[in-house]
Amino acid sequence: MSLLKQWYDAIQEAQSVDKIEEIRISVFGKKGVLAAEFARMKEAPDEEKSKIAQELNVHKNTLMNELTARKIVLQTLELQEKMRAEAIDVTMFNSSSEAGALHPVMQTMDRIVEYFSSMNFAVKTGTMVEDDFNNFEALNLPKYHPARDMQDTFYFKDEMLLRTHTSPVQIRTMMSSKPPIRMIAPGAVFRRDYDITHTPMFHQVEGLLVDKEGKVSFANLKFILEDFLKYMFGDVQVRFRPSFFPFTEPSAEVDISCVFCKGEGCRVCSKTGWLEVLGCGIVDPNVFAAVKYENVSGYAFGLGVERFAMLIHQIGDLRSLFEGDIKLLEQFR
Amino acid sequence: MIVTRSWLNEWIDLSTIPTERLVKTLNSIGLEVDSVATYEVPQKIVFGRVLECEKHPDADKLSVCKVDTGDGIKQIVCGASNVRAGLDVVVATLDAVMPDGTLIKPVMLRGVASEGMICSSKEIGLGDVHDGILELDGSIGKYTRGQELSTHPIFSDTVIEIELTANRGDCLSIRGVARDLSAAFDKPLRDRTFREDEDKRVGIGRILSLWHENNLDVEIRYKAVDIKKFVLPLIMKIRLTQLEEKKESAIESLMTYATHSSGVILRAYEHSFFCAAGETMAKISLSRDANGFASIKTKEKVASIVGVSQEDISKVTFSEGLVLIEATYIAPDVISKKMQEKKIPSGAVYYRASRGSEPDLNQGLNYCISMIDSFSDSSVYGGTIEIEEAYDDKIISISKKEIDEIIGANIDKAKITKILKNLGFDTTKSSADNFIVAVPRYRHDIVNKQDIVEEIVRLVGIDNIPSKPFTFTEANSFNDDYRNYKKRESYRHKAAYNGFFESVHFVFDEKKVLQEYGFETVDEAKELLNPIVNTLDTLRTTLLTGLLKAASNNSKNGYASVKLFEVGSVFDAQRNESLKMALLLCGDRELQSLSNAGKPSKVDFAFFAQKLSNVIGSFELREFATKHTLSHPYQCAEIFVDGESVGEMFRLHPNVEESLDLDVTYMCELDFEKLPYALKTAKTTSRYQASFRDLSIVMPKNMPYEKVKDVISTCAIQELVRFYPVDKYSDAVLGENMSFSIRFVLQSNDKTLEEEDITKAMDTILNALGSELGVGIR
Repeated sequence: MSLLKQWYDAIQEAQSVDKIEEIRISVFGKKGVLAAEFARMKEAPDEEKSKIAQELNVHKNTLMNELTARKIVLQTLELQEKMRAEAIDVTMFNSSSEAGALHPVMQTMDRIVEYFSSMNFAVKTGTMVEDDFNNFEALNLPKYHPARDMQDTFYFKDEMLLRTHTSPVQIRTMMSSKPPIRMIAPGAVFRRDYDITHTPMFHQVEGLLVDKEGKVSFANLKFILEDFLKYMFGDVQVRFRPSFFPFTEPSAEVDISCVFCKGEGCRVCSKTGWLEVLGCGIVDPNVFAAVKYENVSGYAFGLGVERFAMLIHQIGDLRSLFEGDIKLLEQFR
Repeated sequence: MIVTRSWLNEWIDLSTIPTERLVKTLNSIGLEVDSVATYEVPQKIVFGRVLECEKHPDADKLSVCKVDTGDGIKQIVCGASNVRAGLDVVVATLDAVMPDGTLIKPVMLRGVASEGMICSSKEIGLGDVHDGILELDGSIGKYTRGQELSTHPIFSDTVIEIELTANRGDCLSIRGVARDLSAAFDKPLRDRTFREDEDKRVGIGRILSLWHENNLDVEIRYKAVDIKKFVLPLIMKIRLTQLEEKKESAIESLMTYATHSSGVILRAYEHSFFCAAGETMAKISLSRDANGFASIKTKEKVASIVGVSQEDISKVTFSEGLVLIEATYIAPDVISKKMQEKKIPSGAVYYRASRGSEPDLNQGLNYCISMIDSFSDSSVYGGTIEIEEAYDDKIISISKKEIDEIIGANIDKAKITKILKNLGFDTTKSSADNFIVAVPRYRHDIVNKQDIVEEIVRLVGIDNIPSKPFTFTEANSFNDDYRNYKKRESYRHKAAYNGFFESVHFVFDEKKVLQEYGFETVDEAKELLNPIVNTLDTLRTTLLTGLLKAASNNSKNGYASVKLFEVGSVFDAQRNESLKMALLLCGDRELQSLSNAGKPSKVDFAFFAQKLSNVIGSFELREFATKHTLSHPYQCAEIFVDGESVGEMFRLHPNVEESLDLDVTYMCELDFEKLPYALKTAKTTSRYQASFRDLSIVMPKNMPYEKVKDVISTCAIQELVRFYPVDKYSDAVLGENMSFSIRFVLQSNDKTLEEEDITKAMDTILNALGSELGVGIR
């Protein structure tokens, strides 16, 4: 029996799962110690046999339990060791996206289009090269009109021009289809102006709604623009100021409370607490006359997409938007 | 348009209206306030009087003055050359802190004690009103010695800059703005009629005669004044400084001031300018010049052009002498049309005339004369000489119902009447339901019903109109334009997911550069007439140049890997617009990192092709030579999708790479309209096992794979799912040939392929390659 004693020590001293396996074979194997002890029992006198068998069985169970317990301990230790060897310095793997990004102005345009198309406005596009009629005359801007000064125009040698707004798309739509009309015209427009706050090309979204005479009111215009501006800018205050556009009457400019200082007054809003973001109004009857619409009423609005993008994303430099500058773009992943 | 509180106050009583409310009202009636600035003269700066003034014993340029500052007589040393006894001045007393932070304390100047400072306009933050210390006079109203400047209305004035819209010429004057405010606040304008004592005066007819052509479309009116001792009063100097007007002679400055106040275009001429030698009768003739403009002349010389400009030689330079003061009006549409027909040099006058100056000439002339009268000893000649035109007020009729429909709210009839009346519109002929509105001449911008509604809206206040949703008879809003927008969006998203940054460039380009690279350019006859700069002097015919410029900048900015794309419009020689998509890949194929030991491989043709197929789907490439010279001649392909050519891809020519400081660069440009956007159709897929076979053929090195591909495709083997090159090998033994391995994937929809089916298929391919191209297994 004392022969078995040493195996108890061996189990406790074993340092690896392999060693435990060795011990298991040495103790419980066919040629193991236990088998040998049981064999020797046959030589013992009969009256002692049952006692020896009993003792041997106790040892057998105890040894097996200790062996299993030790094995679990060693397995756990070995797994710990293995994992420790697999340790990495996680701080070496900061984010390193290989994805590209959509341009902030185009993303903003997409959001604007998304709003109005979900309000059932049709999207309409047109060409950038336009004629005087569609860009000016039909919009109540005859040749001598002083408001033409407001929009310095790129002309071509053959008297065509680059559209100064997307309104020609509205004229073309009205000339080719009957009311009711509910549309927006997103796209690039051109003014002959190039400095810190102006680029010769920028993007606009203009909207137009036309229905029967007496049906479309200023109150309707207020409703959709207030809703739209809250969709774009979140919880802002919206105010309407009377203004002047040749193609609408009455006209208004729309301000939102400054998104930077929450209306307290800061550099961006020139201390006024308000930011001008939209122009709008009730369509002037001369515009309807130019497209030969009778007995209709309508509203129209227009906005600059770059301005929206710059306010929403707090982009400081307008010109950087047209340089394909990855330093700027990678922030919009 | 710049107005100030005190100046407006001359026309309308603003004493009960705080500035904040004034600004808010201006904004809400459509006169957008651009900036508001209030003078803040610091404390302890007071009015004073110089009692005595003597030369400093030890300094030539300094004077020692005794100054009454209300609370006693102070000794102050002053360096200004215009200081003198009897002058009323502005004094910074001890402990005053000047706007620049200087603290006034007792000092010794060259041994003489000085207890304060006599101030110039700049020193108290008023700008450059005049040289030297500020010389006060009665024009600024009452003040007492010792009174703090900050309590005086002129020195605590608020300057408001208004951004006027192009139609509101009527508000290009202090009186005009006051008139609009009068409607907004429902307060009357102050009466500023100048009453002259006609009897005692010599009639203007004795010194002036006017000859004119008929039908000139202008109104003109003259007064004559014998100017004596006219010095521009301080209040005008201060206000002209606020307007940032340049300094001119006293009379010229007065004209600027009176024009800004009244809105009437006023000019002054020396009487003698119109007199023939030795005569005392001035003869003015008014006729159309060669360009059709109404011009004011002597026999030989032009003095001015109505509504456009005045010649310098006719301007008044003296401060004493006989002066003719002229007020003119020309309707804005008349002068604008004329200028449109024939552009001639013009000045500030034209701006005012073309937007609509004040037609009430008497009002402006009288204002001007009253100023001269109160600030000099001049004598005014009686009466005026004038040309007048008959003018009938425009009549617009609009019903209450029409007004309510356009606004979308019910506006009280009495309120409408009051608004129109305060704006100067005559509504006395109106009936119960109908407004008959006579529009005054100064509101040339009001022509139809909508204009009347606009006036009502701005004075009622848009904030007071409730919002209402619109109910619409639905039309189908889904159209081709929207579909194209969504297609564009979808391709842009795919490009961004695959590592490309969206770039937006101007549709302008430099013609010279386009031509150098061999791109087509817009025909000369259809070219831009007025480009903004030389480097943007034409419409772009390709997206490639813009992307290259951006890539070059990014690369110089330290980006070892540049991936850009643009979807945008380009134009052909006939200036027809079309949509293109271009992608660019330059330098490293991935970020430098641990995993590539900081040295990622460079992009190559295969890598670019794979990125491109991530974006546009499957395509085939054919050998190609581009029309332009940007491409590497041996790494250049035409791209086919579903058998149709959609564009080109290529490596950038090494010379171009070098000239732009670019690493290895690949680009492509695609006709966006030709890119697929149809819904996908699923093919039946096989349930049976696929088999793979590699075939190594020996073929000439210079034989394009495209040929091999074509031959295999024409075999039309049903079981052939796909095939692709997997290896390429050449050595000395092979010489001009190479061994080229292609992997074939075969699969049937009906059964698991047997060995003999596969062999049969491969044999068919081999035979075809042999007979068509003369190539076979090694």
